[in-house]
Amino acid sequence: MMKLKIRRQDGEKVWYEVFEVEDRPGMTVLEALFYVQEKLDGSLTFRYSCRGAVCGSCGMLINRVPRLACRTQISDLRKEPTNEGNPEVLIANKMNEEGNDEILIEPLPNLEVIRDLVVDMEAFYSLLDSVRPWLELREDVPEKENIVDQEMQVRLEQYTNCILCAICHGSCPVAARDKKYYGPAALAKAWRFDLDPREDDGHREQRLDIVNSNSGVWGCDTVYKCVAVCPKKVAPTLSINELRNRIELSGKKEDKKNDMKL
Amino acid sequence: MITHDVVVIGGGLSGLRCAIELYEKGVDVAIISKVPPIRSHSGAAQGGINASLGSDDSWESHAFDTVKGSDYLADQDTVEILCREAPDRVLEMEHWGTNFSRKDDGTIAQRPFGGAGFPRTCYAGDRTGHNLLHTLHERVLRAGIKVYREWLVTRLVIEDKRCLGFVAMNLLDSELEVFKTKATVLATGGYGRIYEKSTNAIINKGFGISLAYRAGVPLQDMEFVQFHPTTLWGTNILITEGARGEGGYLYNEDHERFMKDYAASSMELAPRDIVARSIQQEIDEGRGFPGGYVHLDITHLGKDLIEERLGGIRQISIDFAGIDPVEEPIPVQPGQHYSMGGISSNKDGATPANGLYAVGECACISVHGANRLGGNSLLDTVVFGRRAGVHAAGYVASLEEADDDPLEKALNNERTAISDMMGSDGESYSGISEELKKTMQENVGVFREKKKLQKAIEDIKKLEEKAKSLKVKTTAKEFNLELLNAIELKGMLDLAHSIALGALVREESRGAHYRTDFLERDDGNWLKHTLAYLTPEGPRLEYKDVNITTFQPQRRTY
Repeated sequence: MMKLKIRRQDGEKVWYEVFEVEDRPGMTVLEALFYVQEKLDGSLTFRYSCRGAVCGSCGMLINRVPRLACRTQISDLRKEPTNEGNPEVLIANKMNEEGNDEILIEPLPNLEVIRDLVVDMEAFYSLLDSVRPWLELREDVPEKENIVDQEMQVRLEQYTNCILCAICHGSCPVAARDKKYYGPAALAKAWRFDLDPREDDGHREQRLDIVNSNSGVWGCDTVYKCVAVCPKKVAPTLSINELRNRIELSGKKEDKKNDMKL
Repeated sequence: MITHDVVVIGGGLSGLRCAIELYEKGVDVAIISKVPPIRSHSGAAQGGINASLGSDDSWESHAFDTVKGSDYLADQDTVEILCREAPDRVLEMEHWGTNFSRKDDGTIAQRPFGGAGFPRTCYAGDRTGHNLLHTLHERVLRAGIKVYREWLVTRLVIEDKRCLGFVAMNLLDSELEVFKTKATVLATGGYGRIYEKSTNAIINKGFGISLAYRAGVPLQDMEFVQFHPTTLWGTNILITEGARGEGGYLYNEDHERFMKDYAASSMELAPRDIVARSIQQEIDEGRGFPGGYVHLDITHLGKDLIEERLGGIRQISIDFAGIDPVEEPIPVQPGQHYSMGGISSNKDGATPANGLYAVGECACISVHGANRLGGNSLLDTVVFGRRAGVHAAGYVASLEEADDDPLEKALNNERTAISDMMGSDGESYSGISEELKKTMQENVGVFREKKKLQKAIEDIKKLEEKAKSLKVKTTAKEFNLELLNAIELKGMLDLAHSIALGALVREESRGAHYRTDFLERDDGNWLKHTLAYLTPEGPRLEYKDVNITTFQPQRRTY
């Protein structure tokens, strides 16, 4: 038996509720949530889609660490303390010899809660849109494919692997205090397109001007929390550092003309 | 009432591609989807997308492989369109930003896939669907197309064979709204979750297919259900065919490469129906491992190649089975994967109802016939998604404004239907859903026979009776999962019934439909498509001819 201590919220109140779940080998947190929803309390709500760690729907705070519920095994959680009362701890401490039989489940931080574990993703998507996250076609589009060397393909891949789960956003101290900060996912996306040799130069410059701001790359605390929690090893801080270098090399740093905080 | 010229229901690959085409044709288009588009099941596709890019390959060769793979049930005129348009659509995705894997010279790399005579499958590592989905989503953001995220469409409004729009529920507050359209495109994906073991996302319940069915549109070839040979034992997460394409071997418990007994020349790269049956037979006859699986071994490919081309499945194996495929073989078993059947629609995605289109997995445009080749479903989404956009744009251009009354009436009816479902003294969805999945898995699976199919139909009828007293206890407005699941359950029952009945009546073995009591393909009696119409007593079946142009049916060997 395993206990799930789940943070509940409706329009009026917030409370914590404990559910007993019959666990089995290989069971994930998402499966445990389905067990609660189908057998114990149909009113519990959370998001899900693929259950295979590719869609990014089920990002939530599990034992105070933001992660995907679908790929977090109950058996692994038994080996770590719940970190309750210490919201600063993002990565679990050393193994607990006794084993834990209670899991703390809360919604992803830094986004408004709609109900239970469901947060408002619109805010996250709109920050993402700010960096114009798409490839603008150059005028000289080749008739066949663009030639892209393998090394570049691999460099791009690290960033195209992002699933927009917002787990990085939920771990980010800047996002916690500044709702206008584009956030790690959007800035990693900005670098993904800046890096792409197929991108139109004009559009690349436009995007660089957008992220050259305190809402953009200059807002980052570079404490690497997003890198620690990213389920796809995208490492947003690295892309923020790359963008900072690009801006400095291009001599744009002085103007910071899109400073959203001013 | 919300009004758009065209609304696309579903935000996966086919829906996004269709919406982009409509936008580029200047049409007022919106997308409505029960999950944000980037969370669609398209993102789980791993292996690749077929196109005859090589100078020694040809669309004709691609078409022959597709028709043969389909066990001659595919319509050959639509297969021709699929294969002719493939290179243009793939190059377009590259131009729009897809990060395809590359050859040494920087051109798009291609890998071998089952049933193909040429390494024709373009790929982006083993995250091809994810890459394509994000590319199209980025293109939708660029266009600024309106997306109604997290809305469930609950009923289509069709009057005098013309689709006037639909009723939808905003999941954020459970409020119903009516949408008035000149054309509506269904792009809602498959129904894998009516089976116990499926590679599909949990959201894949086929509800979009049932919307059309309930509105009087026939479903086609529903008995053809693809079982993927290699799904991860336990969770049934997909392990791409690319793993065999890159050189992976299948072993039974005696460490025999058993495919030599089933498809001696193609071995592990025989089409999916054949490999799935071979694995199931090994398991059924006691040569699998305890618990019902075989081994997929890629250890000999080496860590570098596995990381480069199969990094996603390495991670999946570690996360979900505790196995690192660099060191150990992956435990795999067949699982439901794809629906060849679906809403009957033509080469432009048009259904028999005017103004209603269907594309992608929810549709049966009949390019996959009785068995789909790997790499052809992603292709299907972009080819026919685009074509439906072109056709719908032409259709709405000359259309007169329709009357609002039928839409208002449908909204009121739907409000009543949903409020009638609320209460605490009836059946709950979860019990019915569990029983349905169980009977489909046991009786309408890889191997089929009369008695089992009859049992499935009896079970489904009992569950349909139970579902009449289905009640939803949860009254919360925001993201009421219990209500969402209860609404979708009735659609799952409709589809299950049409699959089981189609399979019972079709007394032959063809592609993925394998009857142990009728082992041979029977072209004399069964070279024809099944059409299922919904009646109060269940599905009524009709049949129509297969379009054969170039390739005369012959025996399928690999």
